[in-house]
Amino acid sequence: MATYEEFIQQNEDRDGIRFTWNVWPSSRIETTRLVVPLACLYQPLKERPDLPPIQYEPVLCTRNTCRAILNPMCQVDYRAKLWVCNFCFQRNPFPPQYAAISEQHQPAELIPNFSTIEYTITRAQSMPPIFLLVVDTCLDEEELGALQDSLQTSLSLMPQNALVGLITFGRMVQIHELGTEGISKCYVFKGTKDLTAKQIQEQLAIGRVNAPNPQGRPGAPAPMPPAHRFLQPVKQCDMALTDLLGELGRDPWPLGVGKRPLRSSGVALSLAVGLLEVTYPNTGARIMLFLGGPCSQGPGQVVNDELKQPIRSHHDIHKDNAKYMKKAIKHYEALSLRAATNGHSIDIYSCALDQTGLMEMKQCCNSTGGHMVMGDSFNSSLFKQTFQRVFAKDQKGEYKMAFNGSLEVKCSRELKITGAIGSCVSLNVKGPCVSDQEVGMGNTCQWKMCTFTPSTTMAIFFEVVSQQAAPVPAGGRGCVQIITQYQHSSGQRRVRVTTVARNWGDAAVNLHHIAAGFDQEAAAVVMARLVVYRAELEDGPDVLRWLDRMLIRLCQKFGEYGKDDPNSFRLSENFSLYPQFMYHLRRSQFLQVFNNSPDETTFYRHMLMREDLTQSLIMIQPILYSYSFGGPPEPVLLDTSSIQPDRILLMDTFFQILIYHGETIAQWRALRYQDMPEYESFAQLLRAPVDDAQEILQSRFPVPRYIDTEHGGSQARFLLSKVNPSQTHNNMYAYGGAMPIPSADGGAPVLTDDVSLQVFMEHLKKLAVSSTA
Amino acid sequence: MPGLHYASSTQNQRWHTTGISIFRCTVNRIPDTNSLLQKCRLPLGILIHPFKDLNNLPVIQCSTIVRCRACRTYINPFVYFVDAKRWKCNLCYRVNDLPEEFQYDPVSKSYGEPTRRPEIKSATIEFIAPGEYMLRPPQPAVYLFLFDVSQIARDSGYLQVVCDTLKEKLDELPGDARTQVGFICYDAHVHYYLMADGLARPKELTVIDIDDVFLPSPESLLVNLGECRDMILELLTALPRRHSAPGVPVSALGAALQAAYKLMAPTGGRITVFQTCLPNIGPGALQSREDPNSRSSKEVAHLNPASDFYKRLALDCSGAQVAVDLFLLSSQYCDLATLSGMSKFSAGTVYHIPLFRAARSWQAEQLTRMLTRYLTRKIGFEAVMRVRCTKGIAIHTFHGNFFVRSTDLLSLPNVSPDAGFGMQLTIEESMSDLQHVCFQAALLYTSSKGERRIRVHTLALPIATNLTDVLHSADQQCIIGLLSKMAVDRCASASMSEAREALMNVAVDALSAHRLARNLPAGAVSSALHAPASLRLLPLYLLALLKRKAFRTGTSTRLDERVADMCDMKTLPLGQLLRAVYPDLYAVHDLHLHMRHDTHDHNDQQDHDAEHDEEEDDAPDPPRLQLTAERINSNGAYLLDDGSTLMIYVCSNVSPAFLSEVFGVGAHAQLPDEARSLPRLDTPTSRMLHAFIDKLNDDRPYPSGVHILRDTSPSRQLFTERLVDDRVESAFSYYEFLQHVKNQVK
Ligand SMILES: [Zn+2]
Ligand SMILES: [Zn+2]
Repeated sequence: MATYEEFIQQNEDRDGIRFTWNVWPSSRIETTRLVVPLACLYQPLKERPDLPPIQYEPVLCTRNTCRAILNPMCQVDYRAKLWVCNFCFQRNPFPPQYAAISEQHQPAELIPNFSTIEYTITRAQSMPPIFLLVVDTCLDEEELGALQDSLQTSLSLMPQNALVGLITFGRMVQIHELGTEGISKCYVFKGTKDLTAKQIQEQLAIGRVNAPNPQGRPGAPAPMPPAHRFLQPVKQCDMALTDLLGELGRDPWPLGVGKRPLRSSGVALSLAVGLLEVTYPNTGARIMLFLGGPCSQGPGQVVNDELKQPIRSHHDIHKDNAKYMKKAIKHYEALSLRAATNGHSIDIYSCALDQTGLMEMKQCCNSTGGHMVMGDSFNSSLFKQTFQRVFAKDQKGEYKMAFNGSLEVKCSRELKITGAIGSCVSLNVKGPCVSDQEVGMGNTCQWKMCTFTPSTTMAIFFEVVSQQAAPVPAGGRGCVQIITQYQHSSGQRRVRVTTVARNWGDAAVNLHHIAAGFDQEAAAVVMARLVVYRAELEDGPDVLRWLDRMLIRLCQKFGEYGKDDPNSFRLSENFSLYPQFMYHLRRSQFLQVFNNSPDETTFYRHMLMREDLTQSLIMIQPILYSYSFGGPPEPVLLDTSSIQPDRILLMDTFFQILIYHGETIAQWRALRYQDMPEYESFAQLLRAPVDDAQEILQSRFPVPRYIDTEHGGSQARFLLSKVNPSQTHNNMYAYGGAMPIPSADGGAPVLTDDVSLQVFMEHLKKLAVSSTA
Repeated sequence: MPGLHYASSTQNQRWHTTGISIFRCTVNRIPDTNSLLQKCRLPLGILIHPFKDLNNLPVIQCSTIVRCRACRTYINPFVYFVDAKRWKCNLCYRVNDLPEEFQYDPVSKSYGEPTRRPEIKSATIEFIAPGEYMLRPPQPAVYLFLFDVSQIARDSGYLQVVCDTLKEKLDELPGDARTQVGFICYDAHVHYYLMADGLARPKELTVIDIDDVFLPSPESLLVNLGECRDMILELLTALPRRHSAPGVPVSALGAALQAAYKLMAPTGGRITVFQTCLPNIGPGALQSREDPNSRSSKEVAHLNPASDFYKRLALDCSGAQVAVDLFLLSSQYCDLATLSGMSKFSAGTVYHIPLFRAARSWQAEQLTRMLTRYLTRKIGFEAVMRVRCTKGIAIHTFHGNFFVRSTDLLSLPNVSPDAGFGMQLTIEESMSDLQHVCFQAALLYTSSKGERRIRVHTLALPIATNLTDVLHSADQQCIIGLLSKMAVDRCASASMSEAREALMNVAVDALSAHRLARNLPAGAVSSALHAPASLRLLPLYLLALLKRKAFRTGTSTRLDERVADMCDMKTLPLGQLLRAVYPDLYAVHDLHLHMRHDTHDHNDQQDHDAEHDEEEDDAPDPPRLQLTAERINSNGAYLLDDGSTLMIYVCSNVSPAFLSEVFGVGAHAQLPDEARSLPRLDTPTSRMLHAFIDKLNDDRPYPSGVHILRDTSPSRQLFTERLVDDRVESAFSYYEFLQHVKNQVK
């Protein structure tokens, strides 16, 4: 048998899934004692170029409460043409078109290698995707010009059958007509007045194709083809839109001294959501909001127009001194929910030197799967390349983005679903698989994902419901089926089905079997999502305490040690990295917020809650490579000891790619040795990390910030804040505020300085082995 | 029966006046006391046409404008020179110093003769005002056009006509390099047009929220005419097509006006509204109040506004130096009684073409002519008119479209050469020690070229101390002009029947006064009705007035047409008003008998200057006829001119030669029932008739349309109902009316 490491890798490659535990405890009580919950990270759209195209519809279990999809784990009676559902044990006849199947002639969905398979529903109506551009015009000339260029470029990147629309805003909000000949036209709305979808529908005289005409009502303009005035196929309107974008001027309203522009993002977004809601409900659509500053009036306002009043900080929020925050959050949450309900996603491309209110607007992206991109300038390559990458295609030349999806989870009777954490909203579908317990977004077995990409990853949580009295039969397996329905960028309706099974183990008897199936990477990411999800709801110290307590308990449960003897403490290999992950997580920007703005915190957390396992681990514990004349680049400890004068370091924190030149290297570089033919090898050394960095920059979304610095450089602080301060116990590299390690009973912190990993581990061992714990 | 041949002017009794058609008083000799005025039982008032187009207006620019230091009267031809250095004000009698430069005569370039100054030689004069006459820099000419694009508007097709005319006349809009133009269309929404730098073409900005209307852009909605000329032309080309598709049956006029006000308030200027239907949505929405079944009833309801929305808006506009002109091109009831408020209080004008359809070419042509005049005529901006009178006389009521800012000061955000005003006067103190009474109207305005100017008109009239002198000096045309305005007010404040009653009583009162003047014993019955020459036509004009649409009863009259007529009564200059009340009727089948070399008394051409007449030496000059069927012979053809239409009525037995020379047809039966154009044929008769028509058209703001009716046409009553001397339906004939008056005179 392969090692668990190989097993985990295979499963991830095939099914895009990773469980925290790969052997499942057979009773409820034992599961809770594992500390790290039973959960999986699942990439519903993991790229599988090898999948066969299936042009028929899946076969469903006939039991009404089940409706699981036929999969390789089902028992099949080829003679009787029956299959037994592996979730409810219902015996189901095959549909007539399966008459020819036999053991030698199996349909793809029964082949074990296709535990993940994708169906294309050909009878469903094909709908092109919709892109609604919502553009801030309170920008300076340079910013606006750069944004115009990017937007015009994007027209050529969109699917040519896609429908596209344009809303611009400043002090007012303009919805532009695209179909008009000659004189162009737009509708102008006050930025201070919200409109309901119904008002938008009535006032713009738009609606669904099959909606009855609102005739006879005074004031209702004559019926027009719904939405065609505002949303047109790119290939038809790209000239008109190019003109419109070209003519886009800065918001013309005069700006008083000491004033911010009156920016109506809140109403603009509301109109965008409303427009799509009344015209294309339940159709894939993407609102793309380009934002150059904070909303300063009307619904969704996050700051007023007095420049002397800065936008809220974490301290303001902490002191309950953020005047506009709660109301704004309410506004954007309501919009997010409306958009999500209709399958529409919202991207926010925020480019400004100061905050723009991402913190208040976060649910727009988090609930709908939309992108949140944070940059300094629309004229930066960070924005330009990131934006282009939204329209990235896979090897088959198909757009990577998917639309209007839903994800449904089914599981064996021994399991129940407690919730999910990711860029989605609950669809509130109760079912026999749904637990009363709630982790993340629970009380449902279905979630809406309005847009997602191959890297989109959901964390799904389970509980074992079997009581100890009725243990699972030996050799039995528990199953989970994940059904993802979505609108492919081609317009096709597709269904991807992943069915996985894991062995049951009796933790009371064979804990080591279960421990052996522990996936510490998956566990670290799942715990990161859990703790960040909590941090979004409650204040800092309690969340950190909870994280520490969980770590201590895990060490107590799975460490080998003599009571009260810290030196005897050992963890097995597949647990050994976990405390380090937790160490870096707790000092990361995800949980230590005070050195960042609320918007930055929001952005970092947003990425952590959606990225795949590998990227998430980089975010939790950045990767450090060292380059020297001594040999090829090597990964080194994220530790101050790795900073050497004759080394170049490449650090990848996901959000930043940093190249750090050690003191000697920096001196040589300053003397321009690299330009001298005799020091070609030095030039090569300098080039190597740059080339490697480029490789990362080329592939990541969003494009990371690229930093080139050196010993003593001001930007070296980014490196110093990440590495483990192993060579000092004082606050030489002070990072953030208090770093409390709780005492065993979860009480007062024992240290207030930024501690090194070594100190952290010492404390951890002490607490883990303590007999009083 | 007094007829037109008595209508010779009484001007020789006028002591000295400015041009007769600018300033007229109901009597040319002012009673010295209020009791004398009461005895003569005539209304006392003046009519003024202050911005009339003039050919020989003296315009002077001087460092000091000489004015009385006490009452601020401008120096004028009727002041007294105490000596070479001092003058005595003719309104308050204060003695003022004469500035040194007043000794200089700019024409002869000589000194020492102040009476040669233009201020002293001309009763009408214009000054270019120095800086102290400006509260702010003179405003540019700003024109904003509001187009109703509701379904009814689209059906009417007016927009094409208006845009075509605008395009053609764009370069003739009065103004300078600063002139600005803007456009707003409205139906259920308000549509603005952005013509900004950097735009390839105009952009339509639509605001849906008509209950809280706002400007969608802080700039480029009003644009510089010179800089944006091409874009404006493109917009005017595109607009009619853009608003030709089926629209919505609603018109948010109120919201559009609010938008227009917001747009214009910072500069002032002129808003021109084209409305075709009842505004029925948003602020200022109205409901139909007209009951078609009571169009001919004795009492007329709903002559007052249904809402003060339009008045309030006009007052706001007036405060911001904005005037609102209304072109009502309606095909159904629009509640002009309410809508007219927008013009009345902002010094605008109401133009009405009922049942307008652009597809009817004559209506399209009428609108084009009307608009051409409207767009190209002179205009004064941010104007005020102050009227001063000799001490003892006071103004108690103004008539016209304006806002009364103080007892003698009218706010006129715009002033037009086609606007007339009236003032009722009271005598507050005895003036028996005076020789004459003076009136001075000073109109301070900004020209379309951005110059601040003051146009000053002065009138002086002698004092009369006895009834006969007053009655003999009466100006019956001016009296009718003033009475028509008073009657309109009476309709609004009391009722139609009271207003009509009052008009009838005027004739009785005036003739009773005459009887008193002649010392006839009360109660003595006379077989004849006696009237001084100056008042002989008063009953005739009064009868005609009572038969006007404004005041008639018993004849089906659309409420809006009635109200439009009332608006005209209040604002038309006297000449036009009179022609509308008592149209000019001419026989045109024998024009060759009345060529100019025939020496004929020609009293309506006073203010035509000499060179003008020379140009028309080949125009015939037929006599005017009484408006009675008795004057219509079956072998004749007649032209009736009411100022807006030239109606040619062709009788059955007119000579075939006339038919063929004028119409190019051989027989009467070959004429259509109605025609709206007169062919130009190369025949002497045709040339003569056209020359005559051209001459008639020459003294009005814009040419009138021709309407040819055959006497056998079903529409013949359009002509016959204008024969006001005759009995029409329930209304008196002139004879009956005179009998009625006679019976009442005591
Ligand atoms: Zn089943
Ligand atoms: Zn005086």
